[in-house]
Amino acid sequence: MNLSDIIFAPVFLPLLGSVLAFLGKAFFKDHGAKLIEYSAVLIGLGLPWIVLFYLLPSMLSGTVIQLVIGNWLGGVGVIYRFDGLAWLVDFLGFSIAGAAWIYTLGAGPKGPGFSAVFLIQTAALAATAMTVDLFNLFVCLEVLGIASYVLIASSEKPGAFLASFSYLMVSATAMVFFLVGLLGLYRLTGSLSYEGIASGLKILPRGGGLTANVSLSLIAAAVAMRVAVMPLYGWLPDAHALAPHAISAVLSGVLIKTPLFALTRILIIIPEGIEIGRLMGYAGAATALVGVIIALAQKDTKRLLAYHSISQIGYIVSAWGAAVAAGLSTPIGLTLMTASFLHAMYHALFKGLLFLTIGTTTDLAGERDVYKLRGAATILYRGGEKFPVTLFCFLVGALAIMAIPPLNGYASKAALSYAFKDSWQASFLFAAGIGTTASFIKLSRIYWPQRKIDQAAPEAGTVPDKVHISIQISQIFLAIMCIASGIFASRISLIVKKLLSTGIIDTNRVPPNLFSIQNLEKTAITVTAGIVLFLIVSTRPGKKILSLIRNRPRNFQGLFLSFSLGMFGLALWMIYKS
Amino acid sequence: MIERILLIILFLIGFYGIIAKKNIIKKIFALSILNSSVVILFILEGSKIGTNAPIMEEGVKNVVDPIPQALMLTAIVIGVCITALALAIAFRLYRYTHTFDIDEIHRKLHDEPF
Amino acid sequence: MKKKKYSIFFIFQIVLSLTAVLAVLLPVFFSRVSWPDLARNYLEYNGLKESGARNLVSSIYLGYRAFDTLGETIVLLVAVSGTISIISHSGLSLAKGFGEEKSKKQTYNSISGFNRTELLDVVTGKLGPIVLIFGLYLMLFGHLSPGGGFQGGVVVASGIVFMALGSKTDSSTWLQEAGVLAKIEATGFLFLILASLSGIPGGFGFFGNPLSGTEASPVIYIIILNTIIGLKVGAGIGFMCIAMLGKVE
Repeated sequence: MNLSDIIFAPVFLPLLGSVLAFLGKAFFKDHGAKLIEYSAVLIGLGLPWIVLFYLLPSMLSGTVIQLVIGNWLGGVGVIYRFDGLAWLVDFLGFSIAGAAWIYTLGAGPKGPGFSAVFLIQTAALAATAMTVDLFNLFVCLEVLGIASYVLIASSEKPGAFLASFSYLMVSATAMVFFLVGLLGLYRLTGSLSYEGIASGLKILPRGGGLTANVSLSLIAAAVAMRVAVMPLYGWLPDAHALAPHAISAVLSGVLIKTPLFALTRILIIIPEGIEIGRLMGYAGAATALVGVIIALAQKDTKRLLAYHSISQIGYIVSAWGAAVAAGLSTPIGLTLMTASFLHAMYHALFKGLLFLTIGTTTDLAGERDVYKLRGAATILYRGGEKFPVTLFCFLVGALAIMAIPPLNGYASKAALSYAFKDSWQASFLFAAGIGTTASFIKLSRIYWPQRKIDQAAPEAGTVPDKVHISIQISQIFLAIMCIASGIFASRISLIVKKLLSTGIIDTNRVPPNLFSIQNLEKTAITVTAGIVLFLIVSTRPGKKILSLIRNRPRNFQGLFLSFSLGMFGLALWMIYKS
Repeated sequence: MIERILLIILFLIGFYGIIAKKNIIKKIFALSILNSSVVILFILEGSKIGTNAPIMEEGVKNVVDPIPQALMLTAIVIGVCITALALAIAFRLYRYTHTFDIDEIHRKLHDEPF
Repeated sequence: MKKKKYSIFFIFQIVLSLTAVLAVLLPVFFSRVSWPDLARNYLEYNGLKESGARNLVSSIYLGYRAFDTLGETIVLLVAVSGTISIISHSGLSLAKGFGEEKSKKQTYNSISGFNRTELLDVVTGKLGPIVLIFGLYLMLFGHLSPGGGFQGGVVVASGIVFMALGSKTDSSTWLQEAGVLAKIEATGFLFLILASLSGIPGGFGFFGNPLSGTEASPVIYIIILNTIIGLKVGAGIGFMCIAMLGKVE
């Protein structure tokens, strides 16, 4: 078994796990099924770590493994590519998936059926990161999508069904547009692999002209729908707020980033892709600011976190877009892409942590309204937590998203502002940082001691009456990862840079000082301004404006209108720039 | 030429149905129509370069392009799966709110606490 | 007859979306570029030789692009298990195994016992086995004529539905029991994964044809894959239809 077989392990080990889970469900009853399910998850989420660490040295030295599955000749087959980017996305996916699954042992949906679909989702993540074939990207995105629709609906709340339905309709329509774009590109080049398409477009007059530009923008818009940038984010708040907590963590942490990094592969090969990256980068910067404004207005805890995910994905997309526009083989492009991935990774860790801790707290308290819930710390204590584990983990997550040193959020935001260095995006991101601080102060109020003594106690039997050990384990694991990645940030960013460069550029230069006076000053300004903003919106006129934002009309056809306008705008931009 | 006009009309009918019709079941029908229009487009365009079915019996030449057909097999199955899942979700929504109208469902589910 | 009043804002949204979509689609739908024959030329000369299947479409989706087919079967699997768990509406349904449903006879009678006529019993009950045989034929001959795993599997599923619709309570077959279908589907998935890994020990890589180097015709691999996929798809979709008939707890 040589290297080119091992690279498929992150895909087929979770698939093997899900096979075992399905077999367990079909053939055995409770205890036997449970045993098989746990061993299936061990195989599916545990063994791939061995493979990943085995592959790390070769990835660091810049090896890239690209092959046709089945070793067929003739350019008809499916080509796969395993390089540093795929390794990093796999690392991200498996760590969040592992922590989230352990969380579900204590709370959330259980059972062999759930674990099987969860493992399939993880396998699809690994496959999406590796594929360099357009139709295979379509199939992988569909697998990812259908697994998420089922997992969102598994929380059995009626709102979750509506959220899953909206997500399903909008996503299925977007994939139909993807197919139309694929038709355009195949028609021009006769090939489905990225390299085939790129070489085919090169020999055409004007690189394919109008059809090529429009097809590429169709494909990019369909993928951007999954990534939830402005204006395509409409499905995200409901889906992330109403899913089970572990699934919200995986959705926010991994599923909105993997399609973005999969899109990178096609955009850096095709010359027209640069413009798409540029426009998406601009949209990302706008998303960061608008997302945090809407987030500040939310009442429901998980919905606030969901809108924050939109804002943070704006940060990631703006850096990613600028990286694609500059080209990955230039130093500035590499720095931007490193910053983008670092923020993606750290965001997955702290957002996952926040979803899990807020989930535990609101489950125990029986109340999700930020304005009404108070005294959660005592509720958690009464719920059986002798040491305030959940509160501590929430603080770690909140400090991380507010970019307070020495946590990982500080490191990635510093990397982003270094990479953007005085462009207008930097000011947008800075403003968004202020809003983030304000809204997390608002969110943390649920832990403050209550002012009134007679708060209604939750009805007996509707909430879990103690905090399960696996919930605490998963939360502590993520918190430790947040703290550790903050402390070792410079070393980690060097490793990420090396993996992303695949040996083209010499990356042994020392990164800028993370804890420089400039960065610390910026953090202090952000925090102070955030406190001021929080005080402003707590006043009566502030609350009125917030409720206006919160209750703006949103309906089903709005999702499609924004999708069509976004697609049209992207196509216009491409035509204008070509 | 006329086929492409008909297909784009079919596509737009599907898209119109998804956004404009209030009944969820009609939206699901429309998604199915949307899928079908793209499938027919692929197969139609692929058949322009040949005259025989791609079954290599003795002495068969000049076959149509088999790639769009293979791709559309996958796309059709995926479309059916999505339709089935959407219908199941619509069933549960009906059981909970006793209506198929999307605006009613939005209202009922957004008014009450989670 | 209620007449719905559509607000002007709503109509504006619809018209705007449709115009935007039309504008984007026109360059692709009405492109004047002639269809490429790269792939067709390659496959016309080499498809039969390399994969052994006369049906070139089969050689593509079970040979050259078999990974897409694996993804497609996984989508089907997730859709089936998700649909069944959602319909059987209990939050724990994903957690329970599939038990026997001997106690479901009353429900069966009440749900589909309403307007049962002899016509239904005779036509669907007697046609069921014939449809099953046709489905099996489609599965096994997929490499020689139009057909294959998916097509045959869907026909098998409709055969299962025919037999479920047409049989009376005391003469139902084991094919319509939820437990049996779930077992067939899970086993089918297992064999599919094993088949995709079977090329690795011989050094042919993931999804490589293990019979490439031997004397046997490589088409046997395709026939095996067709059969596995057919059984899996048939059991899965049949199971889903039986759940929609209201017979699964």
